[in-house]
Amino acid sequence: MGRRDLPSLADAVDAADVILHLAPETNGEVAYRAFKAEEAKVGLPLADLAERTRGTRYTYSDLLQQPRRLLTSPCWSGIVNDGRAYAAYCLNTERLVPWRTLTGRQHFYLDHEGYIAFGEHLPTFKPKPDPYAIGEFVKSRADGDSIMLNYLTPHGKWNIHSTYYDNHRMLTLSRGLHPLWMNDADAEQIGVKDNDWVEVYNDHGVVVTRANVSARVPRGIGILYHATERTISVPRSPLRGNRRAGGHNSVTRTRLKPVLMVGGYGQFTYAFNYWGPTGVNRDTYVLVRRLDKPDW
Amino acid sequence: MDVRAQVSMVFHLDKCIGCHTCSVACKNIWTDRKGAEYMWWNNVETKPGTGYPTLWEDQEKYKGGWERQNGDLRLKLQNRAGGLANLFHNPHLPTIDDYYEPWTYRYGDLFTAPEGDDQPTARPISMIDGEPVDIEAGPNWDDDLSGSPIYAKNDPNFESITDEERRQLFELERLVFFYLPRICNHCVNPGCVAACPAGAIYKRGEDGIVLTSQEKCRAWRMCISGCPYKKVYFNWATGKSEKCILCYPRLETGQAPACFHSCVGRIRYLGVLLYDAERIEAAAKVTDAQLVEAQRAMILDPFDADVRAGARANGIPDAMLDAAQKSPVYRFVKTYQLALPLHAEFRTLPMLFYVPPLLPVVGARENGAYRVAADFFSSLESARVPIRYMAKLFAAGNEAEVIAVYRRLIAVRAYKRAEAVGDIAPEAISEALAEAGITPDEAEAIYHLTSMATFDERFVIPPLAREVNIEATLDPFTHKPHAGFGFNQSLDRE
Repeated sequence: MGRRDLPSLADAVDAADVILHLAPETNGEVAYRAFKAEEAKVGLPLADLAERTRGTRYTYSDLLQQPRRLLTSPCWSGIVNDGRAYAAYCLNTERLVPWRTLTGRQHFYLDHEGYIAFGEHLPTFKPKPDPYAIGEFVKSRADGDSIMLNYLTPHGKWNIHSTYYDNHRMLTLSRGLHPLWMNDADAEQIGVKDNDWVEVYNDHGVVVTRANVSARVPRGIGILYHATERTISVPRSPLRGNRRAGGHNSVTRTRLKPVLMVGGYGQFTYAFNYWGPTGVNRDTYVLVRRLDKPDW
Repeated sequence: MDVRAQVSMVFHLDKCIGCHTCSVACKNIWTDRKGAEYMWWNNVETKPGTGYPTLWEDQEKYKGGWERQNGDLRLKLQNRAGGLANLFHNPHLPTIDDYYEPWTYRYGDLFTAPEGDDQPTARPISMIDGEPVDIEAGPNWDDDLSGSPIYAKNDPNFESITDEERRQLFELERLVFFYLPRICNHCVNPGCVAACPAGAIYKRGEDGIVLTSQEKCRAWRMCISGCPYKKVYFNWATGKSEKCILCYPRLETGQAPACFHSCVGRIRYLGVLLYDAERIEAAAKVTDAQLVEAQRAMILDPFDADVRAGARANGIPDAMLDAAQKSPVYRFVKTYQLALPLHAEFRTLPMLFYVPPLLPVVGARENGAYRVAADFFSSLESARVPIRYMAKLFAAGNEAEVIAVYRRLIAVRAYKRAEAVGDIAPEAISEALAEAGITPDEAEAIYHLTSMATFDERFVIPPLAREVNIEATLDPFTHKPHAGFGFNQSLDRE
């Protein structure tokens, strides 16, 4: 032959195959070599984890035929050999791979000067900040018809994001849309009965949905499951000039604490989607008021 | 002794996670049809709650089941004269609003909406008339205490507890709920069968499954009222009543019913019970407090030689008797007496039994810390749900029956905890077992049955042998081109 063949990425399937070929999770030889490199770094035998699957190669057409199990790889911290379910940090606890921290151990005390300055070098309780003091409500103000709630958007009872929920069956088995769960005494305060329409709003956006009034929700809390599609049963919002209301994320915002951006120090290595923020992008404050009749 | 066999059921409520996989499996197979949109032959309710159709347990409203009158048993709905008077208008019949108006969405709008500044949305529309609908009820509307001030607070089973107890139950720290999955109970004394003026509903001889003949049904709808569990439904498109058929086409081929097979929590058990048909009437007529015991006494021991001889004399095949000996339902209901009928006071002798859920104990906030009652494993008095509520559901109000079940369940837990954790003194375990009336071996067996039973131990399905149990009236090949539930309709090409 005499010449080196280079893979073409012109075709999407070829591009996918290249990714699968280069990733330790889908190419056993790559996983094996990655563990060999990890062995050199940590001085412990690890390549045996990839020995038996060294010959495994997944291509795009393999994935089309049936789901395949990812291979164990040092990029992750679980051990998934022999059908074992993924659990984080198995490599660290069972194979003694040092934790990816400054000392290689788990840290309880954080001696970074940024954390010390914020008084969070040990786990610390801090009360909720005053929403007005931190500028959450500049344009929207509470009035007699509304109530301010701490707005939470956890995973739903049946769904992960829009999966398994936005279908006829599950919408029928719930309330036909994504309601705002709120406490019965809170609801009474703003004249809302179970299944009444409500506008949920703050400076960032607005959600129009029905209230699910329940003693199960603590006072001062409003819960809207995330992360649903904005296609089912979303009326217009009078507060926003009768434009279509938003989804659960319309009223949330990301507000990073400075300590979450500390970097360049052992485990504090901020990278997008790697060193994720805490739930700050999921929780906020909202005002809730009754809506007589929805406009579609 | 008149020995009959019935394929019976147990639901172990401690294991129900309320996922509704059973409901979806059933819906997809049986009621995803025109006229059946609102039917959920299998549904899962949150308790406390009012359920589906709403307030179904309230027989002042729906007049379902039987009542004792002068030592006699009569349908609550009507006597002969009343039946005639209300033949063309039955005021106790649930309406579509008692169930819910089934809806879908105008998904087409998402694609065909004219160009504009705003994203289009799919509005809910009625599946009955196609018009936009305000959704105000559903088959699981009070899920997880949704709308608790309207639904959970008005649970009919609360009638026996005081207002103060009821108020406390809805305090955040005391709040509690559990799930109640429901299918047709395939009763031994079914109200639906008795109420049908056309004789269209029957209980299959060989396995006790209660079925509605789609040919004989004349749409009187008395069965819908007669069933106190509201598990017969009227198909508005075909004009016939329909109900859970215990997936008999699956049973006849050795498969568990779809709702059983798909159960994620593995709460469901299915197996044969033998019972004495001569005792039915007497068992249905005793006082409320005696109902559970009378029904239990009606169930016969499949290991007893006389019972087996009686069964054979009645034409019950040996395979059925073998299945009865392996039946997990027999163990739950009779051997260990852990499973109880739902609302025995309806007097239909339901053949679906429930292991009541263990009750969370009362916790309280003291000096900023949340503490549970100290006597975690022994005290029923500190249970968050009053025993009276459970007794109303599962023992026709007889608290002793429910307490006896809890004593056994708690003793098994303590026994296993002592084994695994070792923080309970041996004397305390012996005491708990003695109080529950079980031996360590029995505790071990109950642990296995409730927690570790495999698929084949949970579902012991006898060969139903339809071919020997019915007289063949049709050449099987006649049915070959026919398909589906409902009417046998020939294919167009014939």
